[in-house]
Amino acid sequence: MDATNNGGTKRVRTIIVAGQSSERTRQVLRALRGFTNVIWPTSLESALAQTSSKDAGCLVIADDLREEPVDEFLQEARELQRNLPIFVITDPDDVAEAVSAMRHGATAVIEIPPSYAALCEEVTRAMQ
Amino acid sequence: MKDMPQTVFVVDDDDAVRNSLRMLLKSAGVHAEVCASAQEFLSTYEASHPGCLVLDVRMPGMSGLEMQHELNLRGATIPVIFITGHGDIPMAVEAMQHGAFDFLQKPFRDQELLDRVQRALARDSEYRARLRHTDQIRERLASLSPREREVLDLVTQGKANKMVAGDLGVSQRTVEIHRAHVMQKMEAGSLAELVRMMMAVAP
Repeated sequence: MDATNNGGTKRVRTIIVAGQSSERTRQVLRALRGFTNVIWPTSLESALAQTSSKDAGCLVIADDLREEPVDEFLQEARELQRNLPIFVITDPDDVAEAVSAMRHGATAVIEIPPSYAALCEEVTRAMQ
Repeated sequence: MKDMPQTVFVVDDDDAVRNSLRMLLKSAGVHAEVCASAQEFLSTYEASHPGCLVLDVRMPGMSGLEMQHELNLRGATIPVIFITGHGDIPMAVEAMQHGAFDFLQKPFRDQELLDRVQRALARDSEYRARLRHTDQIRERLASLSPREREVLDLVTQGKANKMVAGDLGVSQRTVEIHRAHVMQKMEAGSLAELVRMMMAVAP
């Protein structure tokens, strides 16, 4: 995992989760706490603000944002942080949504239910 | 120079799909060329030909994704719209990560495809216009003398003529003359325009 040795202090990168996500996804994201910080900001605005933090490692847009304009949120996050890895968790087989997310700046799209191994691999690779 | 007409290249191993797409595109006034395989397309495609590509994912021999990889290796910038009857999220994500313009699942509505084709053609057209513009700027830059180029670099860094003169060890009047030549050769109407030109060709 990305841990920067900065003057002797290890800096742990943070996974910011926008949305509360399904229980299964929450479990997987919580499991990632074993090797890095995972935070759930209370609002989308707060999540966007967190992406500007120097510790921001990646943004995960969880699967319960269906009522929200996901593409708009994604685009806004991408404009704020050009190089931040952004993952979108979507319904299985919703290819159109996945394509739309990719067009709006997602780094990758992960289907529900995300497997711990798959998410861990994607996040680790992106944050390196 | 007259621009070449845009062409929509359709690569699909299914005769019926190729023919229906050709008819559809023709009915929308779009020139289309069809190929039955990736190899057939790659053997004739020239990157200078403007247009876009409608590409089937699953084909015998080289698949659509493999063909996209080959096009990327060749530095081709043609917008690619993938079509597939058996798409899944990992496949769509892979295609998009490698620069696909769009990814469409069959069956799709005619208008849906036509809209995407129009957007892809518009993007190709914009890209080629940008490329022509930067080529023109590079040609103009190449026409500058070494001293004019030095003056250009310094004035676009925001330095006044007096400072440029000091840096180059010449008189202010000499700088003014070089600067006028630069503006003329670069066909720039203002310093701001000159700066924009340099930003357009910056590495």
